[in-house]
Parts: sequence; C-alpha cells; structure tokens
Amino acid sequence: MRSLEIDRVSRRFGAVQALNAVSLTLRAGAVHALMGENGAGKSTLIRILAGLDRPDEGRLQLDGAEPAAGAPAAMRAAGLRFIHQELHVAHGLSVAENMHLDHPYPQRAGFVKWRALNRAAAEALARLGLSQIDPRAPISSLGPGDQMLTRIAATLIRADGAAPWLYVMDEPTAALTSEESEQLFTVIGELTRQGAGVLYVSHRMPEVLRLADRVSVLRDGRHVSTRPLAETDEARIIEEMTGERMGDLFPPRHAGQAPGEVVLRVEGLDAGPLRSASFELRAGEVLGLAGVAGSGRGALLRAVLGADTREAGQVTLVGDALTGEPPRAWSNGVAYVPRERRSEGLMLRRAISENIALPHLGPLARARYFLDHRRQRRLATEMGARVRLKAESPAQACEALSGGNQQKVLFARALAGKPKVLLLDEPTRGVDIGARHELYRLIRSLSADGVAVIMASSDLPELIGLSDRIAILRDGRLAEIVAAEGMTEAALLARFYHAAEADGERAA
Amino acid sequence: MSDWIRRFGGLIGMLAVIGFFAISLPDTFLTARNWLNISQQISMLTVVAATMTVVMVMGDFDLSVGSMASLSGVIAATLFVQDWSIPAALAAALAVGLVGGLFNGLVVSVIGILPFVATLATLTVFSGLAFVVSDGRTIFGRDIPAAFGDFARGGPEIARLGERALVLPNLTLVAVGVVLAVWVVLEQTSYGRRLYAIGGNREAARLAGVPVMTLRLSAFAFTGVGAAIAGLMYASRVASANPTQGDGLMLAAIAAVFLGMTLTRDGQPRVLATLAGVVVLGVLDNGLTQMRVDSYVREVLVGAIILVAVGVSALGRRGVFRRSPSR
Repeated sequence: MRSLEIDRVSRRFGAVQALNAVSLTLRAGAVHALMGENGAGKSTLIRILAGLDRPDEGRLQLDGAEPAAGAPAAMRAAGLRFIHQELHVAHGLSVAENMHLDHPYPQRAGFVKWRALNRAAAEALARLGLSQIDPRAPISSLGPGDQMLTRIAATLIRADGAAPWLYVMDEPTAALTSEESEQLFTVIGELTRQGAGVLYVSHRMPEVLRLADRVSVLRDGRHVSTRPLAETDEARIIEEMTGERMGDLFPPRHAGQAPGEVVLRVEGLDAGPLRSASFELRAGEVLGLAGVAGSGRGALLRAVLGADTREAGQVTLVGDALTGEPPRAWSNGVAYVPRERRSEGLMLRRAISENIALPHLGPLARARYFLDHRRQRRLATEMGARVRLKAESPAQACEALSGGNQQKVLFARALAGKPKVLLLDEPTRGVDIGARHELYRLIRSLSADGVAVIMASSDLPELIGLSDRIAILRDGRLAEIVAAEGMTEAALLARFYHAAEADGERAA
Repeated sequence: MSDWIRRFGGLIGMLAVIGFFAISLPDTFLTARNWLNISQQISMLTVVAATMTVVMVMGDFDLSVGSMASLSGVIAATLFVQDWSIPAALAAALAVGLVGGLFNGLVVSVIGILPFVATLATLTVFSGLAFVVSDGRTIFGRDIPAAFGDFARGGPEIARLGERALVLPNLTLVAVGVVLAVWVVLEQTSYGRRLYAIGGNREAARLAGVPVMTLRLSAFAFTGVGAAIAGLMYASRVASANPTQGDGLMLAAIAAVFLGMTLTRDGQPRVLATLAGVVVLGVLDNGLTQMRVDSYVREVLVGAIILVAVGVSALGRRGVFRRSPSR
C-alpha cells in the first residue's frame, strides 16, 4: 500500500517555529484528519507537502524514497493533489474546460477535439457518481459545492500518467452549504473506496468525527497526537488542540433573566427569496435562523439591514419604522456582521482601527465633518480589548490577521455603535475553536446586557447551544419558531424539510 | 531590501533626475526663478491631478477631465465675447464643470456604467460641446478682458533680484489652494475616509452603512470642478481659448497619481504623493526642454520613466509578498 511519511519536519519563519519536528504517516485508502487552531502549523505543513515550501530539517518519504523537496511538479508526479477552500475557476469557460486547465486539451493538428474533451470530463465526473453535472455547462452556472466536486473530478482525468492517490483537502467545506458538504462527503467516500487517501484539514468537529479514520492534532507547531477515531472524542481533541480543558463550548444561559421589551418587529417582510416573514424580537434575546441554503436565512438579515430591497412589509425598531438603506439602519442601532468576511466585511489592506470605525465615522467626527484620529484609535483599542482581539496594534492591516481575529474585528465594528439589534450571518465560519469559544461568550454577554441578537447559521450545535428561540425557514417562508432548550440536532434538521408533528412552540 | 527600494526608490530616482539636470544645466536649472517657473507650468496639471486623486481613491477614474478643461475655457471666453463680467463668466464655467462632474457621477454610480466607458463617452461629449460652443475657432485678442489674462502673469512679489522682481505666480497659489483643499477633504474629514473605504472594499463599505452611491456620485464633482478650474487657468495663461487646449491634461494627471502611488507605503493614492508625481513630470519636462531635447523624444523618455517607476514599485511589492510566510 502506498504511503507518505513526514519525518521530523521543522520549519521556522523568523522568530516563529511554525513546525517543530512533526512526524506523520499518511496512507492510501484512509481519511486522516489534521486538526489544530490557526497558527498550529497546518498551512505550513500543507505548503511543504505541495512543494511550495521546503522544510528546514526533516524529510518526506514516499513509498520509501525521498521526493525532491520544494518542487510542486515532483509532488504532483508523486500522485498528490490539493483541494483548497478557495475555488479558483475560470469564469466564462465550461465545466469540461475548467477540468482541463492543468491538463492538455485533446487535440488533432492543433485543433481542439471538443467531443473528446467533453467525454473525458464526463467520464471523470461519472467515476465519482457526479453524472448530474453537465460538462458542457458554463462553470459559473454551478454552485461552489459542484465547482469543488468538478475540481476533484478533474484530478481523475488521466493525461500525465501519474494517478493521484493522496488528496490534501484544506477546509474544503468552508464555502459550502450543508447539502453541498454532504455531496463532498459522498465523493470522499468514493475516493477512499477506490483506494485513495485523504488528508482532511478542518475546523469542523462534526465532519472530522464522521469522516476520519485517524485524527492528528497539531499545537504551536508540534505534533500532539495521532489516534484512531475510536480512541478519541470531541472533548479530547479540543483539549489537545487548545492545551486546556475548555468546559462547555457554549456558555450557559443566564438563569432567571426576564425577557425584555420588544425591540424589533418584522411584519409581512418580502425580500428576494423571503416571503411574508413576521416575528418579534425582545431585548436580550438570541434568535437563531435555521434552514437549508437558499431558504432565506441571510436574505432576512440583509432585508432588516436594508442591504436588499424590502419589497413588502414593515420593520419596526423600538416603535419607529425602519426604512431605507444600511446607513439608516446602522445609525438607528442595528449592527451587522456579514457572511463573507473577506469580500463583504473587511477592507483587508486597511488598518484595524479604520475597519472598526467605518460605520461610526459620523458620530466620531469633530465639528460634524472632521476626523478625530485620537478618538478613532481609542475606540479601536477599547473595542479590540472587548472582543479579545490579538493584533500588534490598531494600525495593523487586517489581511495579516487570522480568520478568527478578522471576525473579531467585524464584531468590534458592530459593537462600537452600542447596537440595540445585532445581526450575525454565520458568525463563526472558518473560525478556530478557541476564537469561536470567545465569540460565543461575547454573544452571551451582549445578550445579558440587553442586546437583541439574530444569528443565521448552518452550524446546528451553535444554533441550539446559543439561541433562545430558533426560527426555521423553508423556501423563503418563516415556517415556525421553536424553543432551543431541549432541541436536538436531528429534530432541528428534520424541521428544515417538513413541519414537526406537534411539539413545536408556534409563534406569530 | 525590496521593501526599501519600493518605499524610497521613487524619491531617490527623483533626486537623481534633479541632480542630473543640476549638473547638465548649471546656470539655469537650480535657480529660484526656474523653480517658480516650473511651479507655474505644472499648476494646471496639479489641480487636475489632485482632484483626480479624489476619484482614484475609490478605485474609479475620470477620463473626461481634459475635454472638460477645454470646454470650461471656451465657455468663459465665449461669455467674455458676449460682454459678461469676469466673475459671472468664471462662475458659469465652473458651474458647467460641476454639472459635468455630477453627470459623470450619476452615470457611474447610479446607472452603474464602468468609469472607463462612461467617462470615455463624456470625454467625447464635452469635447464636441467645446467645438460647438467655440465654433471650432480659437477665441483670443480683444475679446478676452485684459484683467483675465493679467491674472496668470501676476502674483505677489517675494524678492527682488537686481532689477527683476521674483514673483510667486497666482496660478501656483491657486494650485496650492486646491491641493490643500483636497488634502483636508481626503485626510481630515470622515467624507474622505469613507471614499477610501469604498476603494478598500465597496461591498463591505455598503454593508457597514456607507452611502456608497451618493458618495461616488458626489466625488466626481471634484474632478469636474478641478478640470474647469484648470481650463480657466490655462485660458488665463495664454489669454485665449480653443477647444483642444486641455486635451493633454488627462493622461498626465492619471500618470501623476500612479507615480504618486508608488511613493506611498500602502500603495494607495494620496494627494501629497500625487503632487510629488506632478513635480516629477514637471521637472522632467522643464529640464529636457532646457536641454533642447526634441519634444517627440521627450515624450518617449517621459513614458519610459513612468513605466520604470511603476514597474519597480510593482516588482518590489511582489517581492515583499513572496517572502511573507503563509497565513
């Protein structure tokens, strides 16, 4: 059986020991999960496997031989393939052409043989049970999930002889919905059944517990453990990742807190896929928004903010009608943390302080129009501390921060205006477990201070662990609102597709 | 090292050019009179480039500034012919600049046409209007009030060298005023920071409550008015107006902003950096002219220097990225 041995590999960047004598053995036919917080060394290890970086010490052993280090072509020829979380597709080309981007097109006398091209793509797709994808369709007509699956299928097109046997997947589900993830898992199962191995890197515990045969944990560049799945569990993995006992991931609800006054009332709201949504939100309440992708979770938040046009219905904020675009919502005490922090949230190349102050430049100004740099810096420092932001200084550019800290910048921005209503779209996506825990505690403490929170999420444990009530959306309709207390993941998931029999607490 | 080249390479290059001219033209180049002369020569470009910076901060640009400058000049001159007073004619020309700029803003931000296409179209429109208004002729001579032409030739006296007064040209003062105003707007007001936010990430800015559409629309007013001011300065300097006299300003202004961007640490457009870019272009033009370099050859040299400056900066940036560890 083929194997890749990582033998006491070390890599240092300046003062940071990114990898410290890490040893792992990856085998064909099995899923090996690699876990660790941001900065644990996973990305560096992947770069070394990809030949994009060289180890300072240690070596790789492939079936007993040593491949040339730091040579992407050599690793590729050795049968390694890399699937990244961020998809790079050539828009405007077809599925089949995208699948041939790193293979030569079939040609005759310099002319592309289109039929052969499409057939090769179709065969590769079929091998993974993806016959529903048409190779002639434009790649842009596919969702991110299908785009990723075509990327995996593309590795099966045999043009250069070397059959892939080890797939390295770096957070492959980060941009996928739960259904798309399901499809990916099916394909991963198909790949291993056909004898390939997978190195699966993810923050998402449920996926790892479900897919992995073995789990390795890295912490601060060191290899902490490698265990068969049967010999470990979630608590142990988290403990090994963080080096401390975390207790419950979700902080307890504050007992005996009386529900506050109604701060937000939504009546008959139509926007995009959303149809006549109505609900009330009280001060200090956390309302979860659940449902399959496209059910209108994100659309509801964007319509309350005014980022999407409200086609019908009314939003009332503490007694006053909320109309107009996002500027109005922000100045009236609504804050928003968007779903895509890089494309919708941050000015990546600008300073943390500027990113935090952006929606509050008006109130922060001196004599109405003029910037007050000192107040802006003070606000950034204060809010950064509040969200436990780890950064060199408020002047640091956001692109240098880890995903978790970037998300904290967005929370700091949202909190800086002392919001009455906080809208969160997938607040912990791609955030490591430590930062995630801190964000959960932050949401709890905000709710204790009377902030009303609406949180759209595809993470079921998060919805159940953090919400007071969960609103379930089906096909753009707010189907029901249930109490989160005592809800199970299975019961919640079932309600995504059809109404529950009886036990739901219905609300207007 | 590559970071260092990127930060200070432009500055060193600029000093090298000045040093070269100082040695080649020992008697004339490094004199107060020549530098005051350069300041006047570049004053129109300074105004256009400074206001161009306002839209380039948002990641947009305005190709119509050159033809707007021509248009404002011929409008003022035509109104002089019809016996309008100087203030009234100038106000009318500036109003045309404001309206033209807002129209650009409307087309770009509300209708959503790419700035390249939209301002290329308005470039043609403004240019055509300039020909229509002037009937294709140059307006000059007695039609232009003497006081208008005198403005560009005058200025406060700052020193006396022998019999000849050393004068700080009025046009230079206007340019300094515009740069100062743009600097305050971009660096010291929340309006300016919101424009930078739009350039940083337009969608994020919108979701964070920045009124993107209104701001983009309004920012184009700066380029419109800036171009109109420059057109009037030009008309005053040559005491005449023709429908093509502003044409060279647009490319030079964009080049100046790009040159300036190579000087800033984060590679963003900044108005003081733009001013440095304008000075580089102005010094090159002045020095090469004094060395009697053929004007066609001059263009080749200036273009090549812009390429080298921006290219070195881009290479430096890439080098910096290559060395950074993966996130």
